[in-house]
Amino acid sequence: MEPSDEALCQRVAERDEAAFDLLVARYQERAYRIAWSVLRDGEEARDVSQEAFIRLYQAAGGFGGRARFSTWFYRILVNLCLDHRRKHAWWKRVLGGGRPDEPDGREAVIERQPAEPVDPLAGLGREQVMTQLWAAVATLSPQQRAVVTLHVQDELPTREIAGVLSCSEATVRVHLHRALISLRATLGKA
Amino acid sequence: MALTHPETELIPYAKGELAAAEHERVAGHLATCAACRESLAAFGGILESLARTAPEPPAVPWGRYRTELREKLEARRHRAWTAWWRRPVPLALSASLAAALVFIAVRGGQQPATVDVASVEQAVLGARLDLLRQYGIVENLDLLENLDVIHNLDGLETSRKG
Ligand SMILES: [Zn+2]
Repeated sequence: MEPSDEALCQRVAERDEAAFDLLVARYQERAYRIAWSVLRDGEEARDVSQEAFIRLYQAAGGFGGRARFSTWFYRILVNLCLDHRRKHAWWKRVLGGGRPDEPDGREAVIERQPAEPVDPLAGLGREQVMTQLWAAVATLSPQQRAVVTLHVQDELPTREIAGVLSCSEATVRVHLHRALISLRATLGKA
Repeated sequence: MALTHPETELIPYAKGELAAAEHERVAGHLATCAACRESLAAFGGILESLARTAPEPPAVPWGRYRTELREKLEARRHRAWTAWWRRPVPLALSASLAAALVFIAVRGGQQPATVDVASVEQAVLGARLDLLRQYGIVENLDLLENLDVIHNLDGLETSRKG
């Protein structure tokens, strides 16, 4: 049987390098994707997700097993992302840049359209609408975007998202609700 | 009944996350409130569409990713090690050194000094080795800083709410 994430983390605390490699292999794609969802920059997402693994390695002894490993690890990751954004926001504003990967993201959205759309957006110029919708996701507050991302891409339950963001479930619900209000307004204008 | 719309509970309701009583309350409200039914349908549609069309981040060569990660981890360990080595001599070590020097001073006149120098070296090395055996602690110097960060996560969240 495969060892659980929690058991592997325990072994990392005992400096078991193989256990660390296994955890990295298990979480690398999810970690990178979550980081990218918040940062919208491939290089930064790579860097910050690697940093999260380093913190995991260093702090594994502090994982008490009270939460799920994924919640604990995502918390480290998401907070590094939010911190990174906060620290780097000023120069992005100065340089007038924003989200280097956004054009790629938009193309990817269009490429990934299912052949037979069966949703309420069908017939509204769906590709265009989805492009606008994702562009609107990119303008949400980092917390709102993190909630939306963890919700739709990782299908985490509200309780776990609250654990990741170190806030109450009520706060997560408010973030999600506000995000949905904004996104709905975007669709209204589309 | 429709006065307070359970707006923030709509999605948790649809996901089946609410406690039984709350679930019943929202279900009852939805039965009588067209606005909330409309919101729920719209929000559900948006989330479903997002889930289906999530943009993919740029591809990553995972072998290279892990090699980079290893290199960074090694560099961090090396830094922690160097930082420790350059720290002032720990108190316990200074104490044993001082004791050894007193020992030399007291016995200096009676015995050839070389023997005592050897015992000083032994005392010093012994102390160092003892500390070396606790390398786990040394290695985790960074950890203290990180635990601090982790403990402060709640603070980070509240300070950023918006
Ligand atoms: Zn209502």
